[in-house]
Amino acid sequence: MSIQLNRLTLSIGNKKICDDLTVEFNPGEFWAILGINGVGKSTLLHRMIAVSTAMSDEIIIDDKSLFNYRQHRKLLATKVGLLLQEYEYNFPCSVLEATLIGRHPYLSQWQWESNEDIKIAEDALKQTDLLDLKDRQVNTLSGGEKRRLNLATLLTQDPLYYLLDEPTNHLDLKAQINTLNSLKKLINDNNKAGIMVIHDANLANRYCDNVLMLFGDGEWAAGSAASLINTANLERLYGCTIEKLSNEHHTIYIPG
Amino acid sequence: MIIKTQFYNHFTLLAGLLLLSGLSIILSIFVGSASLSIADVFDVLLGDATPLHQALIYDLRLPRAFVAFATGAMLSIAGVLMQALLRNPLADPYVLGVSGGASFAALLAMLFGLGTIAITGSAFLGALLSIFTVFLLAQGKGGWTISRLLLTGVVMAAGWGAMISFVLVITPPDQIYSMLFWLMGDLSFSRPLLPGLIILVIGLLLTLPLCRQLNVLIWGDAQASSLGINTQRLRITIFFLASLLTAGAVSLAGGVGFVGLVVPHFMRLLVGNDHRILVPASALAGAILLIVADMVARTAFAPQQIPVGVITAFIGVPMFLYLLRRST
Repeated sequence: MSIQLNRLTLSIGNKKICDDLTVEFNPGEFWAILGINGVGKSTLLHRMIAVSTAMSDEIIIDDKSLFNYRQHRKLLATKVGLLLQEYEYNFPCSVLEATLIGRHPYLSQWQWESNEDIKIAEDALKQTDLLDLKDRQVNTLSGGEKRRLNLATLLTQDPLYYLLDEPTNHLDLKAQINTLNSLKKLINDNNKAGIMVIHDANLANRYCDNVLMLFGDGEWAAGSAASLINTANLERLYGCTIEKLSNEHHTIYIPG
Repeated sequence: MIIKTQFYNHFTLLAGLLLLSGLSIILSIFVGSASLSIADVFDVLLGDATPLHQALIYDLRLPRAFVAFATGAMLSIAGVLMQALLRNPLADPYVLGVSGGASFAALLAMLFGLGTIAITGSAFLGALLSIFTVFLLAQGKGGWTISRLLLTGVVMAAGWGAMISFVLVITPPDQIYSMLFWLMGDLSFSRPLLPGLIILVIGLLLTLPLCRQLNVLIWGDAQASSLGINTQRLRITIFFLASLLTAGAVSLAGGVGFVGLVVPHFMRLLVGNDHRILVPASALAGAILLIVADMVARTAFAPQQIPVGVITAFIGVPMFLYLLRRST
């Protein structure tokens, strides 16, 4: 049980995202993907569930090549879920309705959401502190509330592997910490895997066990956060000087 | 619990709409330039009425009410489908030039003197071509914006308008009057009803199984495919269904505009965004709207009849402008 990337080479146009990338994401692990803007972090996440572009054996999910999920898209959606960076809110829709779409992969064609499904959605709203707003229209929510709604939809989808594209976007400091705490708890207690694109190396350092760094030009490094997050690697990653500050509780890295 | 009560509420609403659509058909039998009494209608039903009344009901008013029913229902479903496809509640087959493409292709078929089925088939191809073009051009590289989508549609509609003018110019004078009336959206020059009704039934039966997928698709392609939907296949299905329904409506009644915009909008306010309810509710409400609009068209300036498309435009244009202003 894991997502394995086997000698995966990806490019956008003639720019390489990763060259010969081999890494394994296991349940119980919280991964951060770090890299500068436009290096291809989101593309990498999206490709991990893109059945239509999958080549055989480059991406293996639970011992089965992603390619083979072509005819089993709903099954894949019960295993891997993706929190997108941005969502559109063009139609009127209540918060609870928006959350309930997460149950789509579990329902057969003519099946309606059961009380069980509603309960799962309401639990997700509770976890993201939105239960009081469940009857509100989504387009009346603030940016941070919308972000938590996106997460609630993903929690309702209840996958094993959580692909998270900047989950802390639009969130204030407290909500950032709350969100990452609850993700961390979910990963540890329920044995889920988290693979998160994030721009804050300090939050990655604080919450993640492992990191995947994308340096551009296809070069990458994967391993434990403790071994990879250091001044030298961060300077190479972001192309600016980095200073390390620490006290007895925390170590932070800031641009020098 | 919540969903159950909601389900019954929605079921009641659908039953109510069905009842209303039946009532509006009955009402439309009585209303017209020559008014009929209840006794007249009963005589017709019992078969001992004058041939004039007989013809008035069975050859004119009843078929016309069914044409209005089918046209309104098809346009409303096509509207809901296009709105989900383009993820924009302002999408409508008429505004985005899909009706225009279907009209042009149907006119060409009429000009060559082809029959109903060929006219409908031709309208289908015209609609399909328009919807593909609008979708490809409006998507572009930078993704969607409302203005880009509407501009693409409006320019397409204008282009089809020019092509239609060209066809009218080369049309023999004796055909022009009926073509013009048909273009404005008119139910009185009605074509055979059966192909339209068949398209409505097929369109509805093929749309209903997609409804929960539509609920997810309105959140965007990436979200829909991450929830296990084959978005490419779904999109192509919607292309075909929306084109088929638009073509069915256009070949029955010509260019009736804004039904696909107005009706789903009000139904969204009433039943929310669950397409499993929204699609049948919009179909019925569209049918009712067009039957009523046609009664107005027949009686407002009687004995002169107004094309029903003029009535729907009177409702649709202000509403479109209001929605556009609110959305930006």
